[in-house]
Amino acid sequence: MTGIERIIFATIFIAAILFFLKNVFRLFAILCLGKWENRFDHLWLRLGNLIKYGFGQKRVVAKPFGINHFFIFWSFMTLTIVYVEFLIGGMFPKFNLRFLGDIPYGIILSVADVMSLVAIVAILIAVTRRTFFRKKSISANFEAYFIPSLIAILMVAYFVSNSCEASLGNLEFIKWQPVTASLAAYWNGTDPHTIHLISRSAWWIHAVVLLFFLNYLPYSKHLHILASLPNCFFKSDTLVSTVPLKQLKKGEDLGISKVVQFTWKDILDFMACTECGRCQDVCPVSQTGKVLNPKGIIHECKLNIFKNGDVIRASRPKDMLASAPLNAKMQIPLVNGSELSVDKEALWGCTTCGACMEACPVFIEHAPKIVQMRQHLVMEKSDFPHELITFFEASEQRFNPWGIAPTDRIKWAMDLKVPLLSDVKQAEYLFFTGCAGSFDSRARRSTNAFARILNQSGISWASLGNEEKCCGDSQRKLGNEYVFNKLAVDNIATFKKYGVKKIITQCPHCFNTLKNDYKQYGIELEVIHHTQLINTLIAEGKIKVKQSDDNKTVFHDSCYIGRYNRILDEPRDILKACNGHSPLEMAKNKTNSFCCGAGGGRMWMDELPGKRIYHERTLQALDTKASTIAVSCPYCMTMFEDGLKEEKNPGQVKVRDIAELVADTMIV
Amino acid sequence: MHVVVCVKMVPDTTQVSINPETNTLVRDGVPFITNPYDTNAVEEGIRFKDKYGAYVTVISMGPPSATAVLRKGLAIGADEGILLSDRVFGGADTLATSMVLAAAIVKIDKTRPVDIILCGKQTIDGDTAQVGPGIAQRMNISQLTLVNEVLSVDEVKKSIKVKRKLENYEEIVESVLPTMITVEREINTPRYPTVPGRFVAEDSVIQIWGNDVLKLNVQEIGLNGSPTKVSKIFAPVRDKGEIVMGEGEQQPKAITAIFDKLVEKSFLELK
Amino acid sequence: MSTIPKRPRGTILLLEGKCIACGARCQSVCPVDAIEMNEKGEPIIDTQTCTICRKCVKECPVDAIENYLTPAEKEQMAVFETWKASAAKQVSKEPKAPKEQEQPVAKKPEEGGIADWKGVWVFVEQVNGKAHDVAWELLSKGKTLANDLGVELAAFVIGENIQHLADEAFGFGADKVYIVDHPTLKSYRTDPYVKATVDLVNHYKPEIILMGATGLGRDLAGAVATQLRTGLTADCTGLTIDKVNRLLEQTRPAFGGNIMATILTEKCRPQMASVRPHVMPKSEFIKGKKGELIIEPFTLDEADITTKVVEIISSANKGMVNITGSKILISGGRGMTSKESFKLLEELASVVGGVVSGSRSAVDNGWIEQPRQVGQTGKTVHPKLYIACGISGAIQHLVGMQDSDFIIAINKDKTAPIFSVAHLGIVGDVFEIIPALIKKIRESNAIIVQ
Ligand SMILES: Cc1cc2nc3c(=O)[nH]c(=O)nc-3n(C[C@H](O)[C@H](O)[C@H](O)COP(=O)(O)OP(=O)(O)OC[C@H]3O[C@@H](n4cnc5c(N)ncnc54)[C@H](O)[C@@H]3O)c2cc1C
Repeated sequence: MTGIERIIFATIFIAAILFFLKNVFRLFAILCLGKWENRFDHLWLRLGNLIKYGFGQKRVVAKPFGINHFFIFWSFMTLTIVYVEFLIGGMFPKFNLRFLGDIPYGIILSVADVMSLVAIVAILIAVTRRTFFRKKSISANFEAYFIPSLIAILMVAYFVSNSCEASLGNLEFIKWQPVTASLAAYWNGTDPHTIHLISRSAWWIHAVVLLFFLNYLPYSKHLHILASLPNCFFKSDTLVSTVPLKQLKKGEDLGISKVVQFTWKDILDFMACTECGRCQDVCPVSQTGKVLNPKGIIHECKLNIFKNGDVIRASRPKDMLASAPLNAKMQIPLVNGSELSVDKEALWGCTTCGACMEACPVFIEHAPKIVQMRQHLVMEKSDFPHELITFFEASEQRFNPWGIAPTDRIKWAMDLKVPLLSDVKQAEYLFFTGCAGSFDSRARRSTNAFARILNQSGISWASLGNEEKCCGDSQRKLGNEYVFNKLAVDNIATFKKYGVKKIITQCPHCFNTLKNDYKQYGIELEVIHHTQLINTLIAEGKIKVKQSDDNKTVFHDSCYIGRYNRILDEPRDILKACNGHSPLEMAKNKTNSFCCGAGGGRMWMDELPGKRIYHERTLQALDTKASTIAVSCPYCMTMFEDGLKEEKNPGQVKVRDIAELVADTMIV
Repeated sequence: MHVVVCVKMVPDTTQVSINPETNTLVRDGVPFITNPYDTNAVEEGIRFKDKYGAYVTVISMGPPSATAVLRKGLAIGADEGILLSDRVFGGADTLATSMVLAAAIVKIDKTRPVDIILCGKQTIDGDTAQVGPGIAQRMNISQLTLVNEVLSVDEVKKSIKVKRKLENYEEIVESVLPTMITVEREINTPRYPTVPGRFVAEDSVIQIWGNDVLKLNVQEIGLNGSPTKVSKIFAPVRDKGEIVMGEGEQQPKAITAIFDKLVEKSFLELK
Repeated sequence: MSTIPKRPRGTILLLEGKCIACGARCQSVCPVDAIEMNEKGEPIIDTQTCTICRKCVKECPVDAIENYLTPAEKEQMAVFETWKASAAKQVSKEPKAPKEQEQPVAKKPEEGGIADWKGVWVFVEQVNGKAHDVAWELLSKGKTLANDLGVELAAFVIGENIQHLADEAFGFGADKVYIVDHPTLKSYRTDPYVKATVDLVNHYKPEIILMGATGLGRDLAGAVATQLRTGLTADCTGLTIDKVNRLLEQTRPAFGGNIMATILTEKCRPQMASVRPHVMPKSEFIKGKKGELIIEPFTLDEADITTKVVEIISSANKGMVNITGSKILISGGRGMTSKESFKLLEELASVVGGVVSGSRSAVDNGWIEQPRQVGQTGKTVHPKLYIACGISGAIQHLVGMQDSDFIIAINKDKTAPIFSVAHLGIVGDVFEIIPALIKKIRESNAIIVQ
């Protein structure tokens, strides 16, 4: 290394590092534009998450190709050490890490040596995949090849440079570097001067590419290299099952209309997105040909915050690290209006099934963002699909989605003995029937079946009768926090009036709402899904079923109890108890279940264009050759009933709620 | 342009039922709502605001709690709400109601001349469709009932052109302003209030005018001013659901059942 | 010494569950402001202020307010009643006979000129010289009322070139026919029609006026009643005469049809009522029957009328179907199985005068267009008649049509939820029932009622 070379390199190096720092600072400043949100609690837990999901890549490797990424990731982790040595050594040739001791240093070198080869192989596999076996959700654009090429060049240059040096006998630790050593043989017979020249050239290529890569990162999807580890650290400490409680006050934001109204963690989510497309692959809406693409939303938000963020930063150079001012003007709108905006239709498409969040290797929280953008449209703009107006009005005036007279609610009981809390005053369990279970004639049958089970079990239970109001799930997911809040406050007051502590629901939407949303109002409720209760009742012998021999029942996990609340085994155990066999499984099951299409308020809207989600899921169920589709949600029930009708299969395949199946076989 | 919209607070009659044992109305938990037809009237008023920059005043005669229906109007954009409330207004039939409403509009007209008065076609609790015409007659202005479309307003010539819906035909009518219009439900779809709109409505001061303000002759208002009196109330005979089997040889019986009903309910007439 | 027993006072109470929130009648009659209305529109009676005048008890249309007596007071009441009865027999000369009953609310017809008003009138609504059937129905009803009162039955016709309608009116029972014929009255407009009617009424003073509760009739009736400052009862379903007081008893549904109310116009004349078409039966037309024809002069300058009818659009040439405005809907569902069989529904629609609509399944299958979909994500409809053919009645469908006036459901599954809202349910195959029904209607020569 000549003095001139060193000076040139030092200049480039310092410039590159400064530029890199400037970029990192910009990213940090953009993060700061978001609102404050506390994600600094439970630090040990967070550290665990970082290790498990960040360094351990647990979710990445859950999919077949994930292992490839695992290797690339770990190559980078290890190579970082030798690259640091490499860069410093460029300016101070005497510098190396040998001071760590010969053996540790040797190990570092050998790991780097092997990992470089691993990286090359992994990159080749990745490129092959995206060229010949590409999933639709992965884009094959310039960047998709440019970045792997850079990495490959980096590795190749490393080997060329090192092997040359080895063949010149300059590498003291060559016995630790098996790949390099075997490559060195290749230079045998070449003129040492040429070798030296090649080595220098390779060295420079490596150096320049490395520094370039460092600075290219923040402008590409490889920003995730910087953001995804923090994102695993700051990930939600519970399953993401709802949106934060809104202060419905004058002057407060009522939902998100500007990208800077997101929190810093939301913005970190945008930066952490690797565009791997897994969310898109599992999204029932994307998969049935609609506008929504969860990856697209996150990507658009990222571009949006960069564009708008830079403008805001330029407008207030002194106040770099503060949240954006409330009245900040946005150069481009967040929803509709430019390529860097989210499509409104996409927002209304979401079923909040949570499959995207379950699939995301870096724990991006898609659904709450979508809901909060809906909040703005509904509450500040009254801009929503026209079908929803009757839904909202009915929810507010009649406390149920269909606008049926509230005095008809208890009619589900028909001629059954149903204890009312207003009569009995106290009961161990409140059975919260839910609107579908109360008003929909099909769902009423399962409500009735469950009530028979309750009566048979002898436990102390009661219903609120006409005092019950809609739980507010769909309203909230549709962004109507105002109506949700009214319903929640009223229901909670009723719970308090009767001192209700334990609540059973048959509807997963009620379940999740009472359990996770009402908690935000400071009420402690033990919420139990009917499948949990029935399972316990069977296990404790409080009800007995006559076991049949049926292995033609398939179980559909509804999102809100499966994915959202991890009630996965109970329904299966019940089915096993009734049928003598575990239920059949669809390919997409348990936490990877495929939504029926009714969540997130989609129950109240038309589904266009493309294939209907429920139709797709019905086909998946029919693929198992089952004769009964067992469900544990009244919405899923409607969707399968409709799906079967479309398949012109009336009567042959049946949809039954688990409670109905149990009530049928229950020994009374 | 100044538009006054008359709204009424009514019990949600679709939720009222009859207790078959005692033959009394079951009103428990039945909420009071804005008369649905009036929601279309308010919406139409706000459309005058959107289109012509009209100032929209909503008025209602009723108990103090009726401010709620006025606030609903304010929430979607009405500028002002006035409640006409006084014990002596109570027990009014349509004639006495139109007396109070007309007097209030005349008073409003003094500070801000009124061009258009909007009412719903009828109410769901009374179903009379009389108050609108009553106001027009008392104020001696033209009345355009059953309007299902406002076609145009000429602000210079002070005239309006609307479409009215009658049983078997529609007609386009032109009238000078001021005029009183009653609207059909199909005229529009009322907008959904925004939350900031609701905040504005909650903070608005609603004037309450009693008879100390309107100074009407107590013989002409409320129960005294109502020529009609309810003398008796009883439960109606109801059409109970009836199921007729119509398969195989029972079919002719079923056909006759449908046919007879069509005649009985006057959908068909035998020559 | 025979003391006069005191009438016990008791307390004024609201009976639970009886109040219908009629509009604060009790409050408005209370002379001492002892009544406040609560959120539900029911009275809260302040027993401290209450003087037990019992005005509210009498005013309440549903007997929801009671003068409650304790058992002891009841005994006292019994004593009082017997004393009163005996006192009445004695043709009491007692100086301080308690004034226990108020003057009857109704003024006797002899007083205040009410007796000057005589006769039953029916308004003959006409468009282009063709009378609306409701007029003849009302004449038929009017005849009974007039007979009960022992007065004449008259018809009045307003328009231009409408004298021929007089003969028809005579044929349906009118003793007299008043005609107002003028060019300004050619097509209906409120102001000239009101003027014509009010002039007639003030001139001849009928005690009862009946009008059809049509769009036109309601427009006129409301205006006329206001001009005459008299009572008007809309949409009556029953009309009878209280012979003792010579009052028209007008019965009509209220509260969305949940209760029936009988309404009296005691102190004002004329007593006006409107009746919907097809509610009253029409009597036989007697050909060649004659009566007295009175042609009333009328003057009005066209320039003084502020409204002009610009155009009449007959419903036939309306382009798009609008199922929300249709009176009769024939709705088909998946049970119809094909686009071809919707032709059957078209046919049924044509013989009963309806429009075809359907469930979402019918739309999904492309049997009908989306604007004809009824239900949660389609239209909400309130027709007078809804015939559901091969529709199961999923809640998403029911919410769109359950408020129809009359629902007929045809479905082969007798457990189908559609039957829970149907007024007439037919368990059977649509492909058998509908053709047979069409045949029956055709053969009967029945005509569609407009
Ligand atoms: C989000 C959402 C929105 C929806 N919105 C609407 C909506 O707006 N409107 C709507 O209608 N639906 C709507 N639905 C669909 C609804 O759930 C039902 O699927 C649909 O109403 C069923 O239509 P149907 O009654 O025609 O068909 P089915 O339910 O299949 O019923 C067919 C009926 O025909 C009967 N039948 C079959 N053959 C014969 C025969 N030969 N003679 C007599 N009877 C026969 C059968 O017994 C059965 O009862 C919605 C669903 C969802 C999920």
